[in-house]
Amino acid sequence: MKKILAMLLALSMVVSLAPAAFANADVSELPREETLYFAGQQWGTVLSWNIMGTNQNNSMAIAGGPSGYRTLMFETLFMYNFMNGEIIGLLADSYEWNEDLTKVTVVLKDAAKWCDGTPVTAEDVVKTWDVSVQVGNTAGTTYGAYIDSIEAVDEKTLVINAKLDGEGRPVNPLKVTDFLTGSPIAQAAWIDALVERNGGDAVSILNDPGDDVIWSGPYTKYYADDQKVVLIRDDNYWGQDASMWGKLPVPKYIAHTIYADNPAGELALKAGEVDVCQQFIGNIQDLWLKDELPISTYYEEAPYGVCLTMPTAWYNMNLPVLAENAALRKAIAIAVDYDTIIANAMTNQSPSFAEVPRSLMNPTDGEQALYDHDAVADLQWAGNDIEGAIALLDEAGLVDTDNDGWREYNGEKISLNAVCPNGWTDWQASMEVVAAAGDKIGVEITTLYPEWDIYQTVFTNPNQTEYAIYMWSPEAASPSNPWTRVNQFLGKDYVGVENNWSGNWGQYVNEEADAIIKQIPLETDEAELRALYTKLTEIYLTEVPSFSLMYRPSLFHAVNESVWTNFPAGDDGRNIPPADCTDGYGIAALYELELVD
Amino acid sequence: MKGYRKYFGKKILWFFITLIAALILNFILPRLMPADPVSAITGKMASGMTDASAVQEIYKRYEAEFGTNKPMLTQFFIFLKNLMHGDLGTSFSQYPRKVSDIISSAIGWTICLQLPAILVGWLLGNLLGALAAYIRKGFDKVLLPVALFMSNVPAFGMAVTLLVLFAVKLKIAPIAGGYAFDMIPNMSWRFVRSVITHYQLPFWSIVLVSIGGQAIGMRSMSIYELNADYVKYARFLGIKDRKIVGYVFRNAMLPQVTGLAMSIGTMIGGALVAEIIFSYPGLGSTMYSAVTAADYPLISATTLIITIMVLVVTFLLDIIYGFIDPRVKAAQFDS
Amino acid sequence: MKNTIRQVFHSSKFLVGFIIFVAILLTVWIYPFFNPGNPLEMIGVGTFAKPGTYVSLYDALNTRTETLRLPDADHKRVSYLLSDADRVSMLEWFDIMDIDVSGLDATDTDALLDLWFKNYDPSVKPKGMTQAKRNFYKRLDKSVQQIRMADTLKVMHPEEGELVERSSVTKTDYVNVGDVANVKALPLGTDNFGRDVLKELVSATGTSIIIGLIAGIVATLIGLTLGLLAGYVGGLVDDIIMFITNIFTVIPSFVLLILISYSIGQEQRGATVVALVIGLTSWTWTTRSVRSQVISLRSRDHVNLSKLSGHSLVRIIVTDILPYIASYVVMAFILQVSSGILSEAQLSLLGLGPKTTVTPTLGLMMNWAMLYSAHTNGSWWAYFPVILTITLISFSLNLMNTGLDQVFNPTLRD
Repeated sequence: MKKILAMLLALSMVVSLAPAAFANADVSELPREETLYFAGQQWGTVLSWNIMGTNQNNSMAIAGGPSGYRTLMFETLFMYNFMNGEIIGLLADSYEWNEDLTKVTVVLKDAAKWCDGTPVTAEDVVKTWDVSVQVGNTAGTTYGAYIDSIEAVDEKTLVINAKLDGEGRPVNPLKVTDFLTGSPIAQAAWIDALVERNGGDAVSILNDPGDDVIWSGPYTKYYADDQKVVLIRDDNYWGQDASMWGKLPVPKYIAHTIYADNPAGELALKAGEVDVCQQFIGNIQDLWLKDELPISTYYEEAPYGVCLTMPTAWYNMNLPVLAENAALRKAIAIAVDYDTIIANAMTNQSPSFAEVPRSLMNPTDGEQALYDHDAVADLQWAGNDIEGAIALLDEAGLVDTDNDGWREYNGEKISLNAVCPNGWTDWQASMEVVAAAGDKIGVEITTLYPEWDIYQTVFTNPNQTEYAIYMWSPEAASPSNPWTRVNQFLGKDYVGVENNWSGNWGQYVNEEADAIIKQIPLETDEAELRALYTKLTEIYLTEVPSFSLMYRPSLFHAVNESVWTNFPAGDDGRNIPPADCTDGYGIAALYELELVD
Repeated sequence: MKGYRKYFGKKILWFFITLIAALILNFILPRLMPADPVSAITGKMASGMTDASAVQEIYKRYEAEFGTNKPMLTQFFIFLKNLMHGDLGTSFSQYPRKVSDIISSAIGWTICLQLPAILVGWLLGNLLGALAAYIRKGFDKVLLPVALFMSNVPAFGMAVTLLVLFAVKLKIAPIAGGYAFDMIPNMSWRFVRSVITHYQLPFWSIVLVSIGGQAIGMRSMSIYELNADYVKYARFLGIKDRKIVGYVFRNAMLPQVTGLAMSIGTMIGGALVAEIIFSYPGLGSTMYSAVTAADYPLISATTLIITIMVLVVTFLLDIIYGFIDPRVKAAQFDS
Repeated sequence: MKNTIRQVFHSSKFLVGFIIFVAILLTVWIYPFFNPGNPLEMIGVGTFAKPGTYVSLYDALNTRTETLRLPDADHKRVSYLLSDADRVSMLEWFDIMDIDVSGLDATDTDALLDLWFKNYDPSVKPKGMTQAKRNFYKRLDKSVQQIRMADTLKVMHPEEGELVERSSVTKTDYVNVGDVANVKALPLGTDNFGRDVLKELVSATGTSIIIGLIAGIVATLIGLTLGLLAGYVGGLVDDIIMFITNIFTVIPSFVLLILISYSIGQEQRGATVVALVIGLTSWTWTTRSVRSQVISLRSRDHVNLSKLSGHSLVRIIVTDILPYIASYVVMAFILQVSSGILSEAQLSLLGLGPKTTVTPTLGLMMNWAMLYSAHTNGSWWAYFPVILTITLISFSLNLMNTGLDQVFNPTLRD
């Protein structure tokens, strides 16, 4: 009886789903040995395939990651490899700056073609740029301040003109290089059709579902519902030409099941239903030590992955007590027990601040070499220095005048809050440790975890005084880093900007630092660059407008080798970055996967 | 017959007044939440922008599109007007997806999960309760405490325990989702089987928790009725035991039917935990993500569905009782 | 009264429920005396230390040793570092590397290790071997190296730039756990923050019971007042109260609870506020049932008599109506308490519970355990005791309720 009932129900579910299924797919089961499964990228239903639009929520096809653009379906001119900073041709072959860094000439690959067989031309790049600026999509708004125009020279050659400042110098050549690796190109003919059917209206162009989109990448859409999204290999992909990869990527299907939360994705990885997992998994070593599963990470020992960014606590300079007391800022920062944060919030998947001393740089060798470690060694701190913090505060005259156990400033008790969004567990754990440090040095710090929607409204408001210490991560890696990140830490550009998602969330102003930051993009002499970055590090560590709490990968990369193997690994000498086989040069891994026999 | 008409007229009037009050509450409550969802959408778009006026422009564009710049009252009438046309608006968090589209893709899963679970739980519970009342003795002594214990396991506790036990430890059940991870919905036999296997854990997590409560209620009602005067009188008259028992359980069922109807009415709320823990698609998880994303239109729509379902169920119950329960009947003719 | 109480305690169901509940209360009260301190203190630096007794290694080195020659000590030590499955894996390695293993007895640890150390090279990448397997061999290599460690280990201490030997440890040295200065028993391990789960659980149980009590009192008071008014006064008052009650029934309380909790915001959500909100959204069924009870009472003779004697409304309600529904209200209250505890847990699980760091509650413990995937990574101690505690509290309250029901409704008696 119950069986029959269940059967009937299942049937009715199938019937209700069937039309959608038949419209999209002709295979009912994805052969396990031809499919690479992902987790931790796509949350929620795919909304659109419109590469020129916004809000696509389409992480497998349309996503600019912190380690490079995801070029499964739409391709960029170049790919970035954050392991060595290399810029590798994709749609384009080469690029060349002119003397003044005002123009960059890009030559497209001869072989590069769209899925409909037409060649990728300079006109496509020009059209993509023009319409992006016109409708204000991500590419248009991100690079609009740095790129003035793009012109086609001939069918395969184009020139990107940098925006110039009042004195005729380029605003920021580094950001123009970012465009080369970070912005996907769409087909001009398709864009024309898109603009036409929406009557040129920006909002409807951005919201167009783009089901007829033309792509150039090795994969394309195959099936999507609210439980999964599947891409299928395009066997006519131009990249099998010898001038690019010389072959097709190995998996025929790329599939991503939409999990409700992290634990569900983690369970699926353990069960072998996921091959590549972009999720933070606490105590990941237990997966192989305790559970003895064929799971591995890029490095076999802690920190297991490549940390590219550092979640940071920002001091709110709108609050006089913080703005006027560098000693208070530094005291809190040196009192925090970072080892606990790293052991607890990151379960040691981050190098400690003793191993990689704090600066403006991420822990990669390339960035670490950009400043003089010895020059700032005295300014750096590894944390948990309670006595030092107390001495600093006493010296600055921030003492407990009314004997209530808490220090006062101008006769008022110093009372701060430490804020991060509710449910962001690793950050919440970190804020607890920051609050505990305050307790030990006589500065009252209470934790506050508003819902994400409220948090993001407040911390992006340049005039807010509600949050005193709050968390956000600066940029990870791209050709323009560490400059972009340094600008986020110390740059004046972002001060006072409404709805500020871009940087300097503490509204810290330092004219000297800002002048150096403006100087760096145009500086090409390496020794001079190093001197400038060292000076900035010195300012940052003295002034402490913010303090990083840990290092963190921008993409987590854990793989289950029960079906596929030969994933990138730290000791394989291939220099393919652990970018989930999808982002930037990380996609090279897809061409070298092998089946486990 | 006049009594009936008056009774129904009054009931229908109340139905509409309650419906309107509920509509107002459904509209206002989510909008009292302090977050600004338009700024959330703007934030997604504007990340990486340095130009303040461009950001403001995007913000205004969305504000106009969602109508959040209009006064609350105007917004309410727009909401009502659209509702008349079956238009529940555009979702904020899954913009530009339509709310009706999100709901229609989720509601099937919830009904298919909940309705059978509620029915089976109800049937099994009542059967056990009736048996306990009728047999008493050891059965009752053992069954009642066990049922009580089971019904006191919190829904999430049951779901997590089943998940860990059967999916993680014993590996005899799938871990998540509505169908197998390597399948694409289609009409094949294998797909149907996959749907059924994925169905088991969420289904039983709901059934096991609900059996206990039903059994206890049914047991009490049955004992109450078994001891009632009419039973003694019937026995005295020499009516067959089997027949009496039939009457007894029919009477005892009446309040249980109310309970069943109410749990069907509130099933979306009840599905929340099971759906979240098993990553099962459906309205419960939709509602949860809508709340955390301050997605007013989606929250309003999900709560509205629950509200209307409960309203309709209570209304129908009132009507049916008017016909079948002699006591209610008597009350109408009294007044 | 006395008689009623005696009757109540004669009900075995009530008694069992009562004993369980009192036992829980006593534990909440007494346990902190044995294990004092802040239950939210993060004693562990890592996450989810498993249950057991932890012995300070540092202090153990300074503890007086006894020499014990245990016959199976060596065997145990070796099989801890090199299991039978590991031996098989070693043979597989030899096979892959085409190494002659004829004449090798895999149970002969020395021979096996000799061959292993002679042939294993961590930099070799055999074709077709997964990264995970290669990492496994690297770990195995490290592990077996320890089998070949010297019989005596030296403890060195840096003095004036030089390492000076302070003591040494041999394989036959044992210390008595009782002698070690620092031994910490963690019967339920630690949670994701490195907190002592048992200590936290006991404290959380107390908070959750208080939340349940506050919610129960609020809901019962509102329900009782409205029910009494609606039932006794009737007319327009009844209509209005029932209208409000209907609306609150129609919008399910859990939905209301979610919306209200979200609106309040996390910073304002202390345990008391959450309890109040739960109470404010769960009074409807008490109102309904009290009302129907009062309606059946109000035309009774003794009430009419009071009315005729000109007694005030309050007096009639207090002396002529309340005593008759008191038993019912007590039972409703007990149910409200248990559903209040459940509601808190459910809310917290959705991330809408009380503020995280001020007081532990059962719901918050559950929430954090789930956020840190305790259920998927096998840390049962972080969530299962919580589920069990909630179930037990709720079970004991409901058992008491059933017992009371049987006492006060004679028709239900056995």
